[in-house]
Amino acid sequence: MPDGNENENGEMVSPKHADDIFEEFKEHSVAEFFTKNKQMLGFSGKLRSLTTVIHEYVTNSLDACEEAGILPDLTVKITELPEEHMLVKVSDNGPGIPKSHIGRALGQMLSGTKFHRYMQQRGQQGIGATGCTMFAQLTSGKPIHVRSSTGNGMIYECNVSVNVKTNAPLISDVTEYEGDFRGLEVTAEFADVKYDRSEYSPLEYLKRTAIANPHAEIYFVDPAGKKVRFPRVSQMLPDRPHEVQPHPLGVEPHVLYEMMRISPARKVGSFLTSELARVTPSKVDELKVVMPDFDFDQPPQNITWNDARRLVNAFKKIKWVAPSADGLRSIGNEQIDVALRSLLKPEYLSVRSRPPKVYSGGVPFIVEAAIAYGGSAGKHTESGISTEIMRFANRSPLLFDAGGCAVAKAVRAVDWKRYEIRDFDNAPITVFVNFVSAFVPYTGAGKQSISSEPEVFDEIKFAVMDVARDVQRYLSGKVREERKEAKRKAIMRYIHQLAVDLPLLANTGTSEELEKKLTAVVFTRFKAEEAEENEEHKTREIMIEESESEAGETAENKIEFDEEDM
Amino acid sequence: MAKKETSENASEVPLNKLVGLGRDIVQDIQMEHSPSFYTPVRSRSNIFFKEEVGTLTLGDKKEKRTFVHVSQAKKFMQTVAIASKLKSFLEQGLHTSIRGLYYQLKFSLGEDLDEDLFEEQSESNPLIEDLEASLDLKREDFNLSTDRKGVVAGNMIIRDKFGGEESVIDASKQGRSGWMIPSDVDNGMEFVDVNADYVLVVEKDALWQRLNEDKFWKKNNCILITPKGQASRGTRRLIRKLADMKLPIYVFTDCDAWGWYIYWAIKTGSMNLAFLNKSLATPEARFIGVTMSDLQNYDFLKKLTINAKDVDIKRAEEMKSYPWIARHKEWVEELDIVLKTRKKLEQDALQGQKLTFVGEYVKNKIESGKVLP
Repeated sequence: MPDGNENENGEMVSPKHADDIFEEFKEHSVAEFFTKNKQMLGFSGKLRSLTTVIHEYVTNSLDACEEAGILPDLTVKITELPEEHMLVKVSDNGPGIPKSHIGRALGQMLSGTKFHRYMQQRGQQGIGATGCTMFAQLTSGKPIHVRSSTGNGMIYECNVSVNVKTNAPLISDVTEYEGDFRGLEVTAEFADVKYDRSEYSPLEYLKRTAIANPHAEIYFVDPAGKKVRFPRVSQMLPDRPHEVQPHPLGVEPHVLYEMMRISPARKVGSFLTSELARVTPSKVDELKVVMPDFDFDQPPQNITWNDARRLVNAFKKIKWVAPSADGLRSIGNEQIDVALRSLLKPEYLSVRSRPPKVYSGGVPFIVEAAIAYGGSAGKHTESGISTEIMRFANRSPLLFDAGGCAVAKAVRAVDWKRYEIRDFDNAPITVFVNFVSAFVPYTGAGKQSISSEPEVFDEIKFAVMDVARDVQRYLSGKVREERKEAKRKAIMRYIHQLAVDLPLLANTGTSEELEKKLTAVVFTRFKAEEAEENEEHKTREIMIEESESEAGETAENKIEFDEEDM
Repeated sequence: MAKKETSENASEVPLNKLVGLGRDIVQDIQMEHSPSFYTPVRSRSNIFFKEEVGTLTLGDKKEKRTFVHVSQAKKFMQTVAIASKLKSFLEQGLHTSIRGLYYQLKFSLGEDLDEDLFEEQSESNPLIEDLEASLDLKREDFNLSTDRKGVVAGNMIIRDKFGGEESVIDASKQGRSGWMIPSDVDNGMEFVDVNADYVLVVEKDALWQRLNEDKFWKKNNCILITPKGQASRGTRRLIRKLADMKLPIYVFTDCDAWGWYIYWAIKTGSMNLAFLNKSLATPEARFIGVTMSDLQNYDFLKKLTINAKDVDIKRAEEMKSYPWIARHKEWVEELDIVLKTRKKLEQDALQGQKLTFVGEYVKNKIESGKVLP
């Protein structure tokens, strides 16, 4: 495990875990705490802060649209204001937020709007959007402006800010009027942010969002007024993830803490059996053995952050039935295929969505991998083409902290030479990996890097090897084709002169006839050669597959589901 | 008129063979087969000493030359271009050198192809040999001439038809220079009269001039030839033809590996031209000297030896390893002396005491029959 993560400026940022966060602020407001530790929300460095803002608003919009069964249309506009301020406007065609909820959704930390619906979503903690509100307040001193409508003919506009001391939303300048609009539009002004066109930029973030969300239409206007449109290439809405109860092995202390705070249960014991998956009374008895001094009969609303943390630690000492894999929603082969094809126009593309696996003894996850070769695949810069690794967690692009990420490490661990890719770093290749799980093992609170759990690392590597094998097949076929073509051409260039000389020598035949027939002979001959070569090639492929399945055995730990999951 | 006919007949065989090669290839193509022809393998692995005839010859191994193969396509096309050009030379009755042929064929393959039919003469030379070997003909038969080397004097009258004219050459009336042997002594050449008891081949021009001045050939009724070093194809062919007239052939060279090798090239033919040895080699040839054993018989020579060079030693070792030489114990003895003493003796040394001794030496050897096989 790295001690910290590098931000885009190369500075080390504190790897403080959420455990510590909540322990510290116990009595203080969540909002106050994040004000002082905003890097934990991704607000560190000018570039990263801006991309984080876009990320928070875009994921909220996409989640909302999907939940409401709406194909998302997003518009993101960044405008430069005097004194290096930036105005960010994100609007969607989603369900909108009812006016009574706007404050909680955008002006209150951990407001419970999201986390209690425990499902695989892009955003999860109900921190993001409010974090942006606070970041706007802190840097520009201005509240955010919201325009929302549920599509009932009434449009609601207001300013929102956060009372940092009390973690309560402040609503002002409210107007309500009739109008034809549905969705949410958030406008926020920031300082301490910077726009550029690097691989960490909002543009790159949106491009990758478009790849992982082919059902979304995204329109972007950058500070220079340049407009980019990522068109919708699929009309298929992703299946809505099932709401699932958190599994004891996947729940984080602050989530548990918040759940208990608002739980109707009277005792901790009954809270656990009713609100967490796979917890039975006998499991609670096992927990009691692990935590003899803890009172499982006290009201859950009374417990402290530290109690929550101790409970989470105790969960790890007991054997659990694995959580259901039902909640997992992958993007799917077809959707990834259409998205990568439309955006990268690759010469060759291979996509593989793998069956679920588990890590940490019980957390289900799915890895989806793709390799695009040629066309616009790879990073195209003035100094040439280099390989690009696109990381996603639940369809959300991970742009930062690549170094410590299991995806980057696993991709690098592949022996690319074996797949006809001799110079991996400078190949016209885009490697796509989407990690799907209700519990993504992030390395830090920044949520930009997946931790290298052994099962996670192996599965990512095997998924990439899977698609790399297709690429290898394609490339070796291409190389073969090119060689054959070169050979054929080398012979063809002499046909004319031969056809000119032969009738003179033989006193028979005409040049035209001989030239035509010679051309035909050369073509047939190379067809025959091709058939022979294909035979050889087959045996080679089989050999590779055999050797790889041997290597794969250790990682193929099967999920043991109980019967109700079958 | 009868004479003209023979000249036409002479080129008829090569012409027919060239056309035949072309017909076979055209037929292949018309049947949509990959066109090909065969040529004997000319590498060392396919060269054998044929004991019953006493020459180095090619074995039965053949190589297929085919067009639809990336490494052969160009050569195949080039070979056909050469064949086609040679056919036109024969039809026009014109001669040229292999360099002349190369220039005739050095042209662009087309505007869109940045390539000449031939870039270097080194490309066309081996293809000419391919044609010679596969059609079993000499390049001279295709009106390709080589540089002349070799001079002859003696009672020999030749009729030479060339360039549409005919001249009669009397090799006994060539004064101090002798008659220079042309590259082709077959086509358009006719031996009118040869009146001699034997043929003497002398390695060095200087010695030939000595013997010519001494009227050796007149006094001894022989034909005196110098190849001026290694014998050219024309000279070897002339020696072969004189041997065919039942004239004994005697060869007289330096006493060193190089001189002896000249003898063996005349006798068994060389490896490079193994495919032509049937018409170039003269297994009947005998060796006069100079030999290492001459040192025993002529005292004055002992002081006239010089040190052998590394190349001489290397050549001697090579010759000892050739079975067709090693089978003669006389030659093994000679070579062993060279390897032991690391000495050699030049023909010119025979003049050491008396200029005219050369003639005496040769006469002595022939009369006494002290010649090596």
